[in-house]
Amino acid sequence: MSAPSKRQTVLVYLLLAVVLIVFLTPIYLIASSSVKPSPIMFQKPPAFLFTPTLEHYESLFGMRPFAKFMLNSLVVSFGSTAFSLTFGTLAAYAISRIRHKRMNDVAFWILSMRMFPPIAVVVPYYIIFKTVGLLDTPLALIIVYSTANIPLTVWLMKGFFDEVPMALEEAAAVDGYGLFETFWRITLPLAAPGLAVSAVFCFVFSWNEFLFALMLTGSEAQTVTVAVMSFWSSDAVQWGRIMAGSFIILIPGVIFVLTCQRWLVRGLTMGSVK
Amino acid sequence: MSAITLSNVTKRYGAVQVVHGVDLEIDKGEFVVLLGPSGCGKTTTLRMVAGLEDVTGGKLSIGGQVVNDVAPKDRGVAMVFQNYALYPHMTVRQNMEFALRPLKLGADEVERRINETAEILGLSELLARKPAQLSGGQRQRVAMGRAMVRTPDVFLFDEPLSNLDAKLRTQVRWEIGKLHQRLGTTVLYVTHDQVEAMTLADKIVIMRDGYVEQVGTPEEVYSNPKTSFVATFIGSPSMNMIDARITDGRIEADGFSHPVPTRFAGRVTEGQDVTIGIRPISIELAHADDERALPATVEVTEFLGNEALLDLRVGTHELVAEIPAEQRVPSGTKTHIRLNFDLAHFFDAGTGRSLNAE
Ligand SMILES: Nc1ncnc2c1ncn2[C@@H]1O[C@H](COP(=O)(O)OP(=O)(O)OP(=O)(O)O)[C@@H](O)[C@H]1O
Ligand SMILES: [Mg+2]
Repeated sequence: MSAPSKRQTVLVYLLLAVVLIVFLTPIYLIASSSVKPSPIMFQKPPAFLFTPTLEHYESLFGMRPFAKFMLNSLVVSFGSTAFSLTFGTLAAYAISRIRHKRMNDVAFWILSMRMFPPIAVVVPYYIIFKTVGLLDTPLALIIVYSTANIPLTVWLMKGFFDEVPMALEEAAAVDGYGLFETFWRITLPLAAPGLAVSAVFCFVFSWNEFLFALMLTGSEAQTVTVAVMSFWSSDAVQWGRIMAGSFIILIPGVIFVLTCQRWLVRGLTMGSVK
Repeated sequence: MSAITLSNVTKRYGAVQVVHGVDLEIDKGEFVVLLGPSGCGKTTTLRMVAGLEDVTGGKLSIGGQVVNDVAPKDRGVAMVFQNYALYPHMTVRQNMEFALRPLKLGADEVERRINETAEILGLSELLARKPAQLSGGQRQRVAMGRAMVRTPDVFLFDEPLSNLDAKLRTQVRWEIGKLHQRLGTTVLYVTHDQVEAMTLADKIVIMRDGYVEQVGTPEEVYSNPKTSFVATFIGSPSMNMIDARITDGRIEADGFSHPVPTRFAGRVTEGQDVTIGIRPISIELAHADDERALPATVEVTEFLGNEALLDLRVGTHELVAEIPAEQRVPSGTKTHIRLNFDLAHFFDAGTGRSLNAE
C-alpha cells in the first residue's frame, strides 16, 4: 500500500474527530454535570466554567448504600465472566475438536439460546428464583447473565480453537502430555486473544445489564445500574446523583477493557506449522 | 528383540481401508524408511506407531510391549512432523524444555541436554528466538532438536525434508544420516523421495495402496525388485517396461524376440504374458550389423554431464536409455540399440510378481 497523501491524512483525522466527538460528548456531559453545583445544573446556555463540587458524590455515598451496590455489580460481573469463560471455553474446545456430523447442530443450539428476547423469560425466571429462594441474590444474576454469556463465549472461542493447528496438540501428545495438560499449556495460551475478547464482552454485558437486575433483585442484591435509576422517582429527578453514579459506573469497565487489551494481539500461532 | 513390530496391522476410516495387513519388523538401531507414492498410507502407518491414530486391526508392539491401546505419551517415541509443529508461543529453548518436562529430569540435566543438542544442530545462537523468527531450515532443525533432547527409543519422521529447498534438503539429509550413526536410535522415516530412502535407509519398506510391496535393503530393492511396481518406482530414470509373451521358448515382444535366458528356464510357461523390465543403463547403442541390434529413433537427447538420456522409439515401444555422455547422438538420429538381457527383469504381466530367482 502506498503512503497516504496529505489530503487523505487530513480526511482521516477529520473523520476520527467526528467519531470522537460523538462518543465523548455524553461522557463529558456526565463528568461535568457530576461536579456541577445544583443551582447552575440547568442553566442555558450550559455553564462551562464553574467551581467543581463533590456534593453529588458525597450525597451519593452518604444517603444510600451505593458502595454495596457497586460491590454487587462487581461480584455479579466478575462471577458471570469467570463462570462463562470456564464453561464456555471447555464447551468450545469440545465442539471444535470432536469430529461428529451433528456437532454443528449442537453449536447452533447453544447459539440459539442467545436469540430469544430477554423480556420473554423475565417472569419465568422470577418464578423459578422465587421458588428456589434465590431472588435478590447475586447468584441469581450470575446464573442469568451466564446463560447469555456462555453462548457468546462458546462461539468466540470455537473460532479461536479452530485456528490452533491439530499438529501442535499431536506434538504435545507425543512429547508426553495428556489431554488436559496439552489443552492448558498449548491450546489455551494460543487462544488467549479469544479469552480476552470473550472476557470483555461478558463483563460489559453483565455490568450494563438492567432488565434482569431490575426484576430479580431488591434492596440486597441490587446492582449499580438499577440503583442509579432509583434516583429518578416520581416527585424528583436527582440529576446530580445520577450523573455522579453514572460516572462511577464507567470506571470499572474502562479499567477492565484496558487490562484485557494487552492480550488482544494477533498472529500468536505464526511460525508454528508451515 | 525388535524395537517395533507390526503384525497384520490394518487401518480403516469408515468404509475405506487405507492400510492392509502390514507386517514389519524393525530391529533396534535400524533406520527404516517407508517409501511410496502419495496416498499409499505411509503417514497413516507412522501415525499408528506414534499412537495418533487408532489401529483398526492387528498388533503393534514397541520394545516388545503391545501398544495398540497405549496413549502416545506413554510410548517412548519422538516425532518430527512434516510441518514441524513447533510451539509458536515458546522460544527454541522453551520448545525443547517443554519436551523434556515430562521426563522429570534435574535442572542441570535439562540444561546440559538442551545445550548439547543445540550444539549438535547448530542452534546455540537461536535458543532465545521464537519459531516465527526462524527460517525454514532452522525450524526443521528445531523440530529435530525437540525430538532429540528426549533421547527416545524410537524416532519417527514424517517427510521432514519436504518443505526445504533442494540444497538444504541434501544438507539436512546428510545431517540426519550422521545423527543416526552417532545416536544409534531406531528410526522410522516416511518419504516419497527415493533418493532420501536409498541414501538413509538400512531397510526400505515400499508401500502401494495400503499394501507393503517389498521390504529390503536399498541394494535389494534396486537389484532385485519383487514386483513391477517396485521396479519402476526405484531407480531414476524409471525402468523400461515392455509387454511380451513366451512363445516356443522365446520371448516375443512387438518388433523383436529373444530366447528365454537360461536363468528363467522353468520359471516361465509357454504362452505366459510377461513384462520385460530393463533399466535405462542396460540399454546400449549398437552397430547395425550386430545380429541382436534393434533399429531405434532418438527422439530427444538430454545431456546430464557425465551421462546422457536418450528417449528412444523402438518399433511401437518408447524406451529411455542412459549412456555415457560422450556416446550421445543428436535428437532425431536413426540408430541401433541393444537390450542387455543378462541384466533384464521379468515379471508376470498378470500379478506383477518378479520371475527372477530370489
Ligand atoms: N482422516 C481420514 N479419513 C479418511 N481417509 C483418510 C484420512 N486420512 C487419510 N486418509 C486416506 O488414507 C490414505 C493414506 O493416507 P496417508 O496420509 O497415509 O498417505 P501418505 O502415504 O502419507 O501420502 P503423502 O505422501 O501424500 O503424504 C489416503 O488415500 C487418504 O485419502
Ligand atoms: Mg504423508
